[in-house]
Amino acid sequence: MKFSRRTLLALTVASVMLPAASQAADSIKIGYQLPLTGNTAQYGQNFKDAAEIALAKFNASGQIDVPVEIIYEDSRSDAKEGVTIARKFVDDDEIVGVLGDFTSTVSMAAAQVYKRSGMVQLSQTASHPDFAKISKWQFRNITTQNQEGAVNAQWMIDQGITKVAVIAEQTDWGQSVVKGFVDPFKELGGEVVYTEFFNRGLADFRSIITKIEEQKPEAVYTGFFYEDGAQFLKQVAQLNADIPVYSTSAAYNDKLIELAGEAAEGLKLTATFLPTRTDANVTEFVSEWKKGHDNAPGQFPAQAYDAVNIMLAAVAKAYPDVTRESLRDAVAATKDFPGVTGNTSFDENGEPLKELTKATVTGGVFVEVK
Amino acid sequence: MSKPLLIKLLLLVIVFAVVPLALEGFGKGYYYQIATLAFVFMLLAASLHLVTGVAGLLHLGHASLYGVGAYVAALLGSKYGIGFTIGLPLAGLGAAFVAFLVALPTMRLMSIYFAVATLGIGQMLFLVFQNWVGLTNGPNGVMLFDGIDLFGVAINSELGIYYVVAAVSAVSILILNRLSHSYYGNALRSLREDDQCTAAMGINVTVMKIQAFVISAFFAGIAGALWAYTTGYISPNDFNFSQSILILTMVVVGGLGSLPGVLIGALLLILLPEVLRYFGDIRNIIVGLLMFGAILFLPKGLFGEVNALNFARRLLGSAWSEDNSEKGIGWK
Repeated sequence: MKFSRRTLLALTVASVMLPAASQAADSIKIGYQLPLTGNTAQYGQNFKDAAEIALAKFNASGQIDVPVEIIYEDSRSDAKEGVTIARKFVDDDEIVGVLGDFTSTVSMAAAQVYKRSGMVQLSQTASHPDFAKISKWQFRNITTQNQEGAVNAQWMIDQGITKVAVIAEQTDWGQSVVKGFVDPFKELGGEVVYTEFFNRGLADFRSIITKIEEQKPEAVYTGFFYEDGAQFLKQVAQLNADIPVYSTSAAYNDKLIELAGEAAEGLKLTATFLPTRTDANVTEFVSEWKKGHDNAPGQFPAQAYDAVNIMLAAVAKAYPDVTRESLRDAVAATKDFPGVTGNTSFDENGEPLKELTKATVTGGVFVEVK
Repeated sequence: MSKPLLIKLLLLVIVFAVVPLALEGFGKGYYYQIATLAFVFMLLAASLHLVTGVAGLLHLGHASLYGVGAYVAALLGSKYGIGFTIGLPLAGLGAAFVAFLVALPTMRLMSIYFAVATLGIGQMLFLVFQNWVGLTNGPNGVMLFDGIDLFGVAINSELGIYYVVAAVSAVSILILNRLSHSYYGNALRSLREDDQCTAAMGINVTVMKIQAFVISAFFAGIAGALWAYTTGYISPNDFNFSQSILILTMVVVGGLGSLPGVLIGALLLILLPEVLRYFGDIRNIIVGLLMFGAILFLPKGLFGEVNALNFARRLLGSAWSEDNSEKGIGWK
């Protein structure tokens, strides 16, 4: 057998390289299921961008000795795909935790897989009232409408408003908007004079607005996203219906002001993220985001950014023994995590407890209301 | 042993021995999931095949009947504790019943009008799932906590679930196969080729159409129950218009009028997007291009007995037909 010098050299080099090589292979893997194509792709793409910012920052910080890797899978906001991806993630022994999905329904379908197999699932947006209750493995980083509704109800009462009309989109989320607001508002002595649901993408709100006016409420509470919101506000202005509009963090988006223009003035809403804040982490995220985008980040990318950071912080906490179980416990133990959407803790159900900011549109920008 | 019998036996061996062995070998839940999904959609495509492929009726609302089955199974299971054994046939019957009700006023319609009516049926049922919150839980969807049980025996293992889904789908597809290759199937085919001629031969065209529509809905309902039980959570979006189009595409790509073609079409359209996952964002474009190429170069589908372009031409009436001697029924 020839044992040449070259072989020896190669062996030596290999033995030196080996620890480095195995270290790279030892990266901790997180799965992220989100819609990268299909008609909700714009949201998923934003989540991915936000996640990349968070991940690059974490890996550069050197908090743990090994890099973390995020594996993105496209669910197209289709439950079939969501479940298939969930099975794929669960099969991969190296994946210790999962982020996503975007819509509640896909998140819920995938959650059945994570529940059975035992994998922590942290969604940045799933707002279905039952999502976090599915099992101990589900968490979310979006305020529930019970929280937002209560703050809005108190806000209105403080303004002396007691007669309110409520409208919301006909989705699981819209249902929770109405319930989350109406219950505390009635408890505080308020009266709901009109409730209506509309299907997403409704072009003509005029008949709804007319019906609202007939009931003579002192304000309207609305559960819509910015597209529908802009439509609604414009038509309210066109009909000269002089009535204050309150809304949720879902309407919080610069596009709303862009689309509605003047009509957006005076809109009041609760939000968890304001890019105009001067906190160090917010300015850092906003400046990183603006490197790849023209606009400031909205609420959803901010929630995704925090969700990824919460997951990464949990990885760091569980390190070096990062398993699906230990990571789940580390996520559950998250307390006062200083994110860009405020300080976040999880309650025993995996629901986030966040501070909400009140904001209003003045002069074409969202301004914090103290 | 005759050749068709040999092929059938071979298929049974593949479905009940080779595939499960391979799945067990991989030991991955991911592959089981795809196998289950493939069976559900093969059954859906096979049931649509009876209406669209054999009877020649363009049906644009099939996913909604699949949804009725899924909702019946899920609601019976979650609200009334009626398990899989009874829930499965009831899901089929429920979908068949709904199909019968909506078929009564619509089945006298011809060609393009029929297609628009089924489009309406699909949207209507979708809006019922979405907006009748008291019954369907609306957009919140229905969670089904119990897994599959057969006569009181809980089936929990991946392999067990595979066998249940495979057996139910195989039996259903076998029945659909027998139906489409019988005198009855031939009567439906004559309906496809010329309904007036069929009526002139003494066949009650309307009754035939209603029967085909209801039978097809029954099996769509069965597929719905399988989906509900294997996923554990359903919501209206699982049964929207794009799912109807997906099923229709399976039938057209596979081949109008040919059951093996339709099954292969379903397999292709479920497996292809998964195989192409590696390509990321452009995978949908690749699938689209393949479909486009298929219809351009294989207008009869992979194994079809009817040319899809002629089918569309005849369906849309002579207004679209270049051959003026052909008698159109639609727009003129």
